[in-house]
Amino acid sequence: MDCYTANWNPLGDSAFYRKYELYSMDWDLKEELRDCLVAAAPYGGPIGLQSAPSCWTVLCQDRVAHILLAVGPDLYLLDHAACSAVTPPGLAPGVSSFLQMAVSFTYRHLALFTDTGYIWMGTASLKEKLCEFNCNIRAPPKQMVWCSRPRSKERAVVVAWERRLMVVGDAPESIQFVLDEDSYLVPELDGVRIFSRSTHEFLHEVPAASEEIFKIASMAPGALLLEAQKEYEKESQKADEYLREIQELGQLTQAVQQCIEAAGHEHQPDMQKSLLRAASFGKCFLDRFPPDSFVHMCQDLRVLNAVRDYHIGIPLTYSQYKQLTIQVLLDRLVLRRLYPLAIQICEYLRLPEVQGVSRILAHWACYKVQQKDVSDEDVARAINQKLGDTPGVSYSDIAARAYGCGRTELAIKLLEYEPRSGEQVPLLLKMKRSKLALSKAIESGDTDLVFTVLLHLKNELNRGDFFMTLRNQPMALSLYRQFCKHQELETLKDLYNQDDNHQELGSFHIRASYAAEERIEGRVAALQTAADAFYKAKNEFAAKATEDQMRLLRLQRRLEDELGGQFLDLSLHDTVTTLILGGHNKRAEQLARDFRIPDKRLWWLKLTALADLEDWEELEKFSKSKKSPIGYLPFVEICMKQHNKYEAKKYASRVGPEQKVKALLLVGDVAQAADVAIEHRNEAELSLVLSHCTGATDGATADKIQRARAQAQKK
Amino acid sequence: MAAHLSYGRVNLNVLREAVRRELREFLDKCAGSKAIVWDEYLTGPFGLIAQYSLLKEHEVEKMFTLKGNRLPAADVKNIIFFVRPRLELMDIIAENVLSEDRRGPTRDFHILFVPRRSLLCEQRLKDLGVLGSFIHREEYSLDLIPFDGDLLSMESEGAFKECYLEGDQTSLYHAAKGLMTLQALYGTIPQIFGKGECARVRTGCFVVQVANMMIRMKREFTGSQNSIFPVFDNLLLLDRNVDLLTPLATQLTYEGLIDEIYGIQNSYVKLPPEKFAPKKQGDGGKDLPTEAKKLQLNSAEELYAEIRDKNFNAVGSVLSKKAKIISAAFEERHNAKTVGEIKQFVSQLPHMQAARGSLANHTSIAELIKDVTTSEDFFDKLTVEQEFMSGIDTDKVNNYIEDCIAQKHSLIKVLRLVCLQSVCNSGLKQKVLDYYKREILQTYGYEHILTLHNLEKAGLLKPQTGGRNNYPTIRKTLRLWMDDVNEQNPTDISYVYSGYAPLSVRLAQLLSRPGWRSIEEVLRILPGPHFEERQPLPTGLQKKRQPGENRVTLIFFLGGVTFAEIAALRFLSQLEDGGTEYVIATTKLMNGTSWIEALMEKPF
Repeated sequence: MDCYTANWNPLGDSAFYRKYELYSMDWDLKEELRDCLVAAAPYGGPIGLQSAPSCWTVLCQDRVAHILLAVGPDLYLLDHAACSAVTPPGLAPGVSSFLQMAVSFTYRHLALFTDTGYIWMGTASLKEKLCEFNCNIRAPPKQMVWCSRPRSKERAVVVAWERRLMVVGDAPESIQFVLDEDSYLVPELDGVRIFSRSTHEFLHEVPAASEEIFKIASMAPGALLLEAQKEYEKESQKADEYLREIQELGQLTQAVQQCIEAAGHEHQPDMQKSLLRAASFGKCFLDRFPPDSFVHMCQDLRVLNAVRDYHIGIPLTYSQYKQLTIQVLLDRLVLRRLYPLAIQICEYLRLPEVQGVSRILAHWACYKVQQKDVSDEDVARAINQKLGDTPGVSYSDIAARAYGCGRTELAIKLLEYEPRSGEQVPLLLKMKRSKLALSKAIESGDTDLVFTVLLHLKNELNRGDFFMTLRNQPMALSLYRQFCKHQELETLKDLYNQDDNHQELGSFHIRASYAAEERIEGRVAALQTAADAFYKAKNEFAAKATEDQMRLLRLQRRLEDELGGQFLDLSLHDTVTTLILGGHNKRAEQLARDFRIPDKRLWWLKLTALADLEDWEELEKFSKSKKSPIGYLPFVEICMKQHNKYEAKKYASRVGPEQKVKALLLVGDVAQAADVAIEHRNEAELSLVLSHCTGATDGATADKIQRARAQAQKK
Repeated sequence: MAAHLSYGRVNLNVLREAVRRELREFLDKCAGSKAIVWDEYLTGPFGLIAQYSLLKEHEVEKMFTLKGNRLPAADVKNIIFFVRPRLELMDIIAENVLSEDRRGPTRDFHILFVPRRSLLCEQRLKDLGVLGSFIHREEYSLDLIPFDGDLLSMESEGAFKECYLEGDQTSLYHAAKGLMTLQALYGTIPQIFGKGECARVRTGCFVVQVANMMIRMKREFTGSQNSIFPVFDNLLLLDRNVDLLTPLATQLTYEGLIDEIYGIQNSYVKLPPEKFAPKKQGDGGKDLPTEAKKLQLNSAEELYAEIRDKNFNAVGSVLSKKAKIISAAFEERHNAKTVGEIKQFVSQLPHMQAARGSLANHTSIAELIKDVTTSEDFFDKLTVEQEFMSGIDTDKVNNYIEDCIAQKHSLIKVLRLVCLQSVCNSGLKQKVLDYYKREILQTYGYEHILTLHNLEKAGLLKPQTGGRNNYPTIRKTLRLWMDDVNEQNPTDISYVYSGYAPLSVRLAQLLSRPGWRSIEEVLRILPGPHFEERQPLPTGLQKKRQPGENRVTLIFFLGGVTFAEIAALRFLSQLEDGGTEYVIATTKLMNGTSWIEALMEKPF
């Protein structure tokens, strides 16, 4: 532990830089690195090698990209429209060419290396100089990159030559390392990665928390806490002394925080552990220390250590990880097909299934369907075993992928597991499995989906096959009938014909006789077809009724010809009424007989019609023609309706005893009504009459009723 | 604004707010000024969700009704079509869009499908060459619309007809979707009961289908585990086909009668204006208003909430009592002596005036209804209905019906009565049935044969098969006819039809206590299977009922429900020892007249 800071190099008074090994690189390279153009992504990204280099850099300001180009001693800034010469402020004189330029990770800073061995560091806007350094090496450096960390004020660039690495900043001295092999620099958010044939290292500014704790003879609270914890493990009383010292200064919380933070920046699990142990130890003496930061750090470090493992090889630092987010890290694991590790991480962090496990399993499944050497059966089973009913997994996405790889059968098998018909059906249609799509659509109950498949099928199949398909799917059939009813009437007829649905065929032709046919012959013919259909359907009633209607239509036509006026499409009842109103009583009688209108209704009919005509004479004749089957009260009522009291009274006397009171009251003969009611000794009738007695005129009648009532009660 | 929705046991305002939010989000997607082109059928239901002010806040400047040809001129950036997914409407929209394109400056077109986006319709728009003209094509899943604190309706007029006559179950799918929306807002409903018909078209059972669809959809949505504490304890799915009788009878509650006589549409009723004319002295009734008086009827009106579910015979006494209270309250002003007292009186004035206005309105409505109910014909009709329902003379041709036909009373009235007789006799004797049918065709016209076929297909009118009349067994076991009905202070649901207890509501009542096992026999006679299904809940969400706490049952009438049935359910909810409170959902608020009307077919 004492020599832990041995690899720390001071730069100026306030900052240290260190470089440690990430991996030993044991790749079997055919070419030397020097012959390659190296591409490496930040955030511990992979490394790519390619041949042939070039010389300019891209600046990015306010979301606009510029190119900074060095030609001899001059610098030019290019954008999409213009080219302008620029001069960095405070540039030392004597420059005849620029050998290297570097833009910082954040695109805020720029460093220029000149042929005089002079390094200019300033803002990328070229408006301000930060510092400069003269390294006195005129050889062109192989690479120059910025080495900075977020929120740190320190600025430094790392310059690499063949065998030399130099860290340069706002300080008179630089740090120098010897490079044993050809090495390359990868700028990162918080430092620089350096790799060569056999090593992979990380160079960065030591973070503040680590510095506080590990700086030799540091009295920072974190350092004391780490010390206290060590003494405690040794069962030494010094532990108490250190702890007291921190507590007296009231810095325990700060100490714990420092240890937690520093743990995040350490690469070695052992060191992470001792720092976390110290934090945990310190926490014991605090009443209310929120546990979140400690717990999260433990979790994050476990995840980081797992992905840093050389089998995985993603050397993320804590800051990079936080910037990158777990979602992106998971994506990268998934793209590298490290499914088990990704799932373990999700489960360990208890991520919601939809964002976590389900998503990864879906990716896995999409990869799985591309394994051509495994049978459809096995792939489908394997996928379903793993995925089951995991929420948020889209089997149709996986199936679409399988279909994309030309594995239609597999896709169909996978779709079986898809619970959302809305997703199933379109893909099945695309794969030309329309009949399967139809049954799936029906299963869902979503009629729109069924319609969609139906119209698809209709275009795909010939008419015969299409009808056969419908026949086996009653729900689809009735929906299609609906469609035809509004869109293709002829097809509807064919459908009924195919099913021998004579009842509906009959109705179909009735509709046609009204809607489609104009001429009377056409209408009658349509009705004849309907009647035939009804006979076939064994609906005797409808058939007869239809035949009657044909008869009536012809008759109405004849009436129009002979008598003039409007008869067509009147009901039988109205036809007879019209005849009576026109004075054609004989014809009316004949029609009523021909169509066997029941006597009672005929009486109502005549009564109403004659009253409408106010033909009182004829009405009286009619009433006397024989005994009325509907009684005589209706006569009274209808006369009163026409305000003919005189006529009404004629019939009131003929009303049967049961309705007599009512009739008398209707014609306003309260006194006689009272007499009848008293005679009937009917209480209900008595009250009815009484309720019609008004004021003075009927005073006597009312008394009479009251007396009769009293008498009835006595008995 | 819609406070009355939140007074019930379940706060239905949550649902209203959710659908309003969805609407606002859609409107905001179409930036700039807008004109809405309405599918006319949607305006009524939309009125219950969002008034014009909401639309105006989101830059809706003009509104038109969807019609062929060109759109009326409007200087707006966006034109949005609000339509049901129907092919014939797509043709009109295409016509509008094409003529608009010819007109000049381009606008942005959008289309909002209510309640479901349809591939079929989009295909039609594509075939007509206008699909590309629409920037946003979205759906607005307005399935269940909150009508009152305990009432939801889909207002889907054709639901019953489509299901039973045409084998089209779209509305069932929408119902299942609507239930999913409810569950997303109010938690998974742990228990589902159902009773419904097995369809002739071998599509399985409608009620079972809705339940199955719900369970399927649940699988589809499992991505987001529902973690809402369940508000509803049970769901009861009832197929209208189980109880064809109830809607045919004349409703005798106040609200039921208003609906029977004037028809309530989307909670509004239009009344003849004469009774509502402002009474001014010396006016001599010179200018009587000619436009119908439009009133909104819901529980937001205190008085209406009190009387709506009463038997009409009990309404008068409440109204006169209220009148006394209100005039007494106004008399108080003479007692107000100090400034403080006067101030207090004045502060109560607005409330008192509103109460007086409401009282005046309902007194007028009650007078209008009374004119009808005291008429001889109404009495005769009711007598016949009650005879049928209590099982008297259901097997022969009825004199009154004969007379109604002979006098050409309204066909719907005749059909209601004939169907009622058929249902109360488990079908009519062939001879009786044929007689009625012949009489109807001869009197009203042969074309009504199509309507008669429809009624037969729906099972409302049918020949008795097997010569057995099951209705008496059902009536006795379920106690559908109660002789000793108390209209003023009811003790049983039968008060809503002055003697007849609605079968559907009786089934609900027996389910809650003592359970359907006690009536297995009758359930087997009634059409369709009955079933029970559990939806497992995570342990954290299981409910521990407090002693004395009522269960909440969501009862869903597939195929429509009447106001009298709703009144009966509210009566059960209010029973002190009832144990169950009901929230009612349906495909359509209906009555016998609108029901039969929907089943009628006119070929010209």
